Amino acid sequence: MTHPTRRRGPRRRVLTTTVGLAALLVAAGCSTEQEGSSSSSGSSAAEDCINADEAQAEYTASWTSVKEAFGLTDFEPVDETVCQVDGEQWKAEPKQGDSYRIAFAAQGPTNSWGVLSDEALKYHAKELGVDVLYAAANGDATTQVDNIQQLTSQDPDAMVVVPMGDGISGQVKAAVDQDIPVVLCSGLLPDSSGAVSTVTRQYDLLGSAYAEWIAEKLGGKGKVAILSGLAGVPTAEYQKAAAEKTFAKYPDIKIVTTQYTQWSPTVAKTVAQNLIASYPDLDAIWSDSGYGALGVVQAYQEAGKAVPPITGDSINEFIQATEGTDVQYALSTFPPEMSSTCLDTALDLLKGEPVLDKVYVDSPSFTDADGAQYARDDCDGGLLVPSSAPEDLLVDLKMCKAS
Amino acid sequence: MTTATTGSASVLTRLSTVLAPLAGLVLVLVLAAVTTPQMYTPDVVRIVLFQVGIIGIAALGQTLVLLTGGIDLSISGAMAMTSVVLAVTTGGSDGRLVAGVLLSLAAGLAVGLLNGGLVVLRGVPPFVATFASLVLVQGVVIAWTGGAPSGRIPAGLSWLGQGRVLGQVPVPVVVFALLALAALVVLERTTAGRRVYATGFNPDAARLSGVRPGLVVVGCYVASSLLGVVAGMVNASYIGYVDAALVRSLNLDSIAAAVIGGVALTGGRGRVGNTLLGTVMLAVLLTWLIQLGAGAGARLVVSGAVIVLAVFMQGRPVRIPRITAREKDTT
Repeated sequence: MTHPTRRRGPRRRVLTTTVGLAALLVAAGCSTEQEGSSSSSGSSAAEDCINADEAQAEYTASWTSVKEAFGLTDFEPVDETVCQVDGEQWKAEPKQGDSYRIAFAAQGPTNSWGVLSDEALKYHAKELGVDVLYAAANGDATTQVDNIQQLTSQDPDAMVVVPMGDGISGQVKAAVDQDIPVVLCSGLLPDSSGAVSTVTRQYDLLGSAYAEWIAEKLGGKGKVAILSGLAGVPTAEYQKAAAEKTFAKYPDIKIVTTQYTQWSPTVAKTVAQNLIASYPDLDAIWSDSGYGALGVVQAYQEAGKAVPPITGDSINEFIQATEGTDVQYALSTFPPEMSSTCLDTALDLLKGEPVLDKVYVDSPSFTDADGAQYARDDCDGGLLVPSSAPEDLLVDLKMCKAS
Repeated sequence: MTTATTGSASVLTRLSTVLAPLAGLVLVLVLAAVTTPQMYTPDVVRIVLFQVGIIGIAALGQTLVLLTGGIDLSISGAMAMTSVVLAVTTGGSDGRLVAGVLLSLAAGLAVGLLNGGLVVLRGVPPFVATFASLVLVQGVVIAWTGGAPSGRIPAGLSWLGQGRVLGQVPVPVVVFALLALAALVVLERTTAGRRVYATGFNPDAARLSGVRPGLVVVGCYVASSLLGVVAGMVNASYIGYVDAALVRSLNLDSIAAAVIGGVALTGGRGRVGNTLLGTVMLAVLLTWLIQLGAGAGARLVVSGAVIVLAVFMQGRPVRIPRITAREKDTT
């Protein structure tokens, strides 16, 4: 996953699935007695799944919150088996000194998403008194391969990796084989990587939720354009595939074109100008990003045409640009500050506490009906709102003005 | 007789460098007419013209550098830097627009001098020097903005990217036309222009003729960077915000436009008209592919194939069979 690509920004409340989960699991006994309790997916893998019911409930909750926010009537989670990891296996005292040293193989500050992802983890580490060994990949998987090797050689207590692509799986596996628990953060890798836990927002959820909102908005009939980010980049392709799968349920919805915006409002504006000329009767636009949606809105407004219902992630600038207009939209977020949850997960492992193998982060979703309240005039246009990142951090990063 | 025939062959060979891209353009226009009739609606023509403007401005700078036998991979860096400088120094305020523009030009001047200095004074290959500049500029932007460039471009500049002359013609293409005309006059009608060609064709011979090739090369890199700044202003004012992904493909597009048009990568050969032709063809091609609904992969394949074809044809110019005196006698 190439995260230069990831254009998502900060937001206010990240309701993570880990919140209260530890307590819930501990209360539930965390015992293997529940092995074999079937998850909603009914997967055979669930037979070996620890605490499947509770874990599955948390997973389902992240879908339910989006369903409610978008007012969807028919929106069910895709099959996914979420289990508890036996934290005892990774329980350990700090290898050096009194505090844990956590390696952080980060995306790097290549865009506002990357900046906040990096800084949110460092900020949280400072709060917890944890040392961070930091290495930025600057969005490049090859660089990250080297970074992970170097970080592993420093023998950290645990490692958090923001994966830049599947090509790093071998290095992640090597780190795990050296008894370094690895937590994947804001992205996915194949199971063969051996990562102990994955903390991310689910791409399937975002892609299909946007598509379902459009389908219901159109009454299951109409012409739709898909505007994805970068061709071949997993973070974009996962969402697009989920959207196409959802639209396929509606035979009267026709995807008239699929275009890529490079997550650039400039490119999106040019693409949208072409759409206006080619498909003047377009009924809706599925976009995976707020930057793309911003360019689309500009193009339609300059052409003096009504903006079709549109989706994307909730950048501040988009909400400001549509304030006071009748643009219909559905937005959600891919919060960069989930990196602090990644750190918590790594530390939970070191303390022997139960964590999930997949921590699907929930975050605010909303439509034009209540979107205006999230606009922040005191913050930068690229900020993903609402942000749960600490205010003083946002001010330090000059993303918001001090109040 | 032989001399006359050879002269004709030379003219035809030169003509082929114009005719080939022209034929390509006609082919694309015909294909577009058949497959996407909406290509000829005013809305789409305006999109093409805008693309011609933005690509063309960058391609003019690239042409100057190519003529000296170099290449400029830092143009997109100059464009991105301009966007950031404008937003950060003006804070979106029209009151500071002039200062923002001057600072952008100063930054572009610095990049151009750096490129030229590395190439001329240190003998660094242009590819390496300008790529290093691109990375350096990106690094400076990241360090300056903390990796999160943001902010608005002053509304007072919006006419440059969004305005239309006579209500129809996008301003960027008019800016490109004026700059192309100026470049044409300089290259074709002035001593400075002849020195550019002489330097690119044979720097040693140029030096013996009293030309200072180093100065010419530096001047072309500076001009290229400054044109990159202008292109950056156009692009930034088009959307009105700092766009971190703004100019990802402009390096390739600017090189492609010049090369497709027939400007030689080896230096010393090519005219502004070639660049104009290549720019129009590229803009039409890119817009047509979007109109076709072609995926990103198909767009890259087609764009790449056209560039490969153009370079291939440059390497193998059309040869006119030479008729010798003996052959003439036997006929």
